[in-house]
Amino acid sequence: MEMFFYGFMQRAFQASFLIAVIAPILGLFLILRRQSLMADTLSHISLAGIALGLLLNVNPTLMTLVVVVIAAVSIDYIRMLYKSYSEISIAILMSAGMAIALVLMSLNEGGTNTSIQQYLFGSIVTINLAQVQLLFFLFLLVVGLFLVFRKPMYVLTFDEDTAYTAGLPVKLMSIVFNVITGVTIAVIMPIVGALLVSAIIILPAAIAMRLSKSFNLVILIGIIVGSVGMFTGLTASYQFGTPPGATITLVFIVIFIITTIVKKLVNQSKYKKNQRT
Amino acid sequence: MHYIEVKDLSFYYDEEPVLENICFTVDPGEFVMLTGENGAAKSTLLRNILGLLTPSKGTATISPVNERNEKLAIGYIPQQVASFNAGFPSTVLELVRSGRYQRNKWFKKLDAEDKEHVERALKSVGMWEMRNKKIGELSGGQKQRISLARIFATDPDLFVLDEPTTGMDLDSRREFYELLKHNSKVHGKGILMVTHDHEDIKQYADRHIQLVRKEDSPWRCFSMDSCKEPSKLHS
Ligand SMILES: Nc1ncnc2c1ncn2[C@@H]1O[C@H](COP(=O)(O)OP(=O)(O)OP(=O)(O)O)[C@@H](O)[C@H]1O
Ligand SMILES: [Mg+2]
Repeated sequence: MEMFFYGFMQRAFQASFLIAVIAPILGLFLILRRQSLMADTLSHISLAGIALGLLLNVNPTLMTLVVVVIAAVSIDYIRMLYKSYSEISIAILMSAGMAIALVLMSLNEGGTNTSIQQYLFGSIVTINLAQVQLLFFLFLLVVGLFLVFRKPMYVLTFDEDTAYTAGLPVKLMSIVFNVITGVTIAVIMPIVGALLVSAIIILPAAIAMRLSKSFNLVILIGIIVGSVGMFTGLTASYQFGTPPGATITLVFIVIFIITTIVKKLVNQSKYKKNQRT
Repeated sequence: MHYIEVKDLSFYYDEEPVLENICFTVDPGEFVMLTGENGAAKSTLLRNILGLLTPSKGTATISPVNERNEKLAIGYIPQQVASFNAGFPSTVLELVRSGRYQRNKWFKKLDAEDKEHVERALKSVGMWEMRNKKIGELSGGQKQRISLARIFATDPDLFVLDEPTTGMDLDSRREFYELLKHNSKVHGKGILMVTHDHEDIKQYADRHIQLVRKEDSPWRCFSMDSCKEPSKLHS
């Protein structure tokens, strides 16, 4: 229990809760729009933004926000070009992001390598008050938008052409969604690390999708799964001194495996019961 | 008034024309069927009309209002609608209710009237008992039926249907055509439907438009067998 007495651990738990609520909301839409790799792409691109910021001596957080927003808008454009293979746009941008980040880092020789390391692997325990405040603002934004635009987003996600004929501004919604995803990733990335951002966004929603057949319930279950995973992972990382982002991801993967097995067993026992009657 | 008005429309994918000189109208209370071989650009034509594609020449317009001067509601069933992601986490009821959203319910709770529409729509396609099933777990024909239920729940002024009965058995197809006819004759709805079973549907539809291959064209380009006639007939 002693970990709760440290200010940094308190902030870490606050941040985890906020992330646990935001992640499955974005994650579910990303998965259903077949953009689950977009989180990965944007995190690589935001890494490039950080590298650029460090190179130019501009505030890296600000720089990465600008870069990610530009990328999020262009993703939708490229997605239109390869309509039925939206994965391609993602792959192109992902490699571009990583390549640019690496080149910029090598240009900026000396001094800054340690901070790039920090962005790659994240450091939830060095989180400061400003970051928690930024996350809280994002939390209000995402939850608020979700509550207001739940129905339009459901139809958009189900089928874009149907959404268009129903009178929804499909392009605008797509772009706004991408931009919010980008901003979220730019904010979360320094906390959990560029390499694992997407796991933390996608996994809770992926687990919840297997557990529920109703759309609204999926989000709720996703938030529960997210909170359990984040808290357990964070505690374990503190106890064993392992990196937080990776520990949390491992916990999610364990939950994923357990739910898969439990679901199989439940289905089998249902089947047997039906056979007997 | 015309719900749909297509005037001398041509459409090119890249450089190749697939549609040329199309003109026809669909009016309130009219049930029009559109046929043509595979690749005759039927789906392309519907997408031009709906604004999902832009005509290369000519125009395709949809009236912004219905006969009562309210905003026109469109119910569109795309050809591949039933091939939705099997993992899409939604119940049949949630999906069919989403058909009501465009009736001014994007930001409001569905009321008793909406729920009645939903129930009636599900019952009319025989899927009410299945309402709590996950949509990914339905059979192909059942998926098609809930797509129909979804637009019956919308209760649109104009139906634009791209092979809506694919995979459905004969009896449910006939019931569906009967229901469409009722909608056009009694409720004044406009209907444009792409279909391949035109023998079957002749007795229900008011008019038949066929896309046929242009013989003088080097491309696989389609046009109407009688461009001027149908629109003249009705103006
Ligand atoms: N996105 C596209 N890009 C280029 N060509 C296309 C595209 N979509 C369709 N086509 C071509 O346009 C023509 C018409 O296609 P369309 O899907 O409209 O036919 P259809 O009449 O609906 O056929 P079906 O009966 O099989 O549904 C086809 O020759 C097709 O190859
Ligand atoms: Mg077609």
